[in-house]
Amino acid sequence: MSAANTSPADESPRAPAVRGEIVVQLTGITKSFGAREVLHGVDLSVHSGEHVVIFGPSGSGKSTLLRTINLLEPPDSGSVRILDVEYGPAGDGEQRRGGPVELRRLVGMVFQQFNLFPHLTALDNIGLPLRAAMHLGRSEAEERAAAALKRVGLLRWAAHYPAELSGGQQQRVAIARALSLDPKVMLFDEPTSALDPELVGEVLAVMRSVAESGMTMVVVTHELNFAREIGDLNVFMDEGLIAESGPRGFLDSCANPRTRQFIAAVL
Amino acid sequence: MPVAAYQWSLIWQNKDLLLKGLLVALECAGPALIIAIVIGLLLALARMGRPPLAWLATVYINIFRGVPALVSVIWVYFGWSLLFGINFTVVEAAVIALVLLYSSFLSEIFRSALLSVPRGQREAGLALGMHPLRVFAQVVIPQATRVALPNVGSMLIGMLKDTSTFSVIGLAELTYTVQNIESVTFQPFVLFTALAAVYVAAAFVIDFIFRTIEKSLTTPPKGRVSGALTRRRRRRLELLVERLEAVV
Repeated sequence: MSAANTSPADESPRAPAVRGEIVVQLTGITKSFGAREVLHGVDLSVHSGEHVVIFGPSGSGKSTLLRTINLLEPPDSGSVRILDVEYGPAGDGEQRRGGPVELRRLVGMVFQQFNLFPHLTALDNIGLPLRAAMHLGRSEAEERAAAALKRVGLLRWAAHYPAELSGGQQQRVAIARALSLDPKVMLFDEPTSALDPELVGEVLAVMRSVAESGMTMVVVTHELNFAREIGDLNVFMDEGLIAESGPRGFLDSCANPRTRQFIAAVL
Repeated sequence: MPVAAYQWSLIWQNKDLLLKGLLVALECAGPALIIAIVIGLLLALARMGRPPLAWLATVYINIFRGVPALVSVIWVYFGWSLLFGINFTVVEAAVIALVLLYSSFLSEIFRSALLSVPRGQREAGLALGMHPLRVFAQVVIPQATRVALPNVGSMLIGMLKDTSTFSVIGLAELTYTVQNIESVTFQPFVLFTALAAVYVAAAFVIDFIFRTIEKSLTTPPKGRVSGALTRRRRRRLELLVERLEAVV
């Protein structure tokens, strides 16, 4: 089903009122692992500045769907369009096509397990991709990395290694790392699920500030209170399909009994 | 035979010959290690890749893991000469023999080290827009190196010891030298005790060197050597942080 039926339901100060161009457009995405198909043809459109929240039970395919956006899981069929360039298996001859490296320079990702590089300091974790992917010089990369760390309040920890940081701090560095590359859209794959409960807040605070800055975001999360707060489009996935989706306020007004049951169980 | 008959002074008298023998052994083991590391890494990647390359690598590894150094060097030195008419010098034959054997051992060390790097590390590098080869070189290899390094040190010690069998092709390495001295002095106990001591001492030094490298690769780096190496960079970082903190 299409998820592009958003309408501004309530005028929360965080809701970007203007609907921009489509940044991410997934059409008919299917993906199988071996004989098991985990995505059965999913459509999703993400507009510029929009905050899409994807939730649903384990195994519903929400993380896999997110990972097809930057081709960490290349879809078996369907179209992945980022800013009108086709990166998926579908697409006609007319459409401009791009490769995965090109796509990933437009799309930032934050992982559940942080995935900071343990052999590099916080600063070099951010500096390495700036040099390797954006081909900045060493001092320019360091300046930019330091500015990114400052943005998440961790400049003082620049010379520390991931093993010396708390989980919450590591995830904040990971967010800074993805942001420093100036992506057009940020993907968050259960960014707080691996954290101690007391560390969840600091990561959500950083994500909130990212959302307020107008960044386009797609967030897979079980933090439904946070979802209610930032979600312009709320997507409930179940068994490899989008079961139901809706605009701001959807979590309190959804019709599908399966969605209601899930929300009641999580909240 | 009375104790006085042991001429321990022989060791000191022949110290230059012993040292030269050790250097010859190292001249074989050192280059052989470097070449074996390169080939071992390629073998590991081939084995982790697709067939038929993976099968070929597996066959190679399983053959050469099982060949003793003595057999390998005779095969290279005499066999290739007979079969292909290729005549190697003794040093070349020694290096090739070691590379054939140890590239197979090293490839298994590298394979397990590469597999020990979590999948998420590679994914993070790719997701950040890095080219897959750069992810391999700058994210996967540094982490795998740390895992492989202690075993690589053991391999170098093993190579050095295996050169002792190369006296069979007339390589003038340490054991060959000692055998020569023994044949004119008839002091096997003294000379072979000294021989063992030199090998053990060399192994200690190699172990020390690899431990030092290992320490500098831990995070945060430990040890004086790495501390000295990173001091300037740390200082520069501190200045950068101070300057940026001042800007509100």
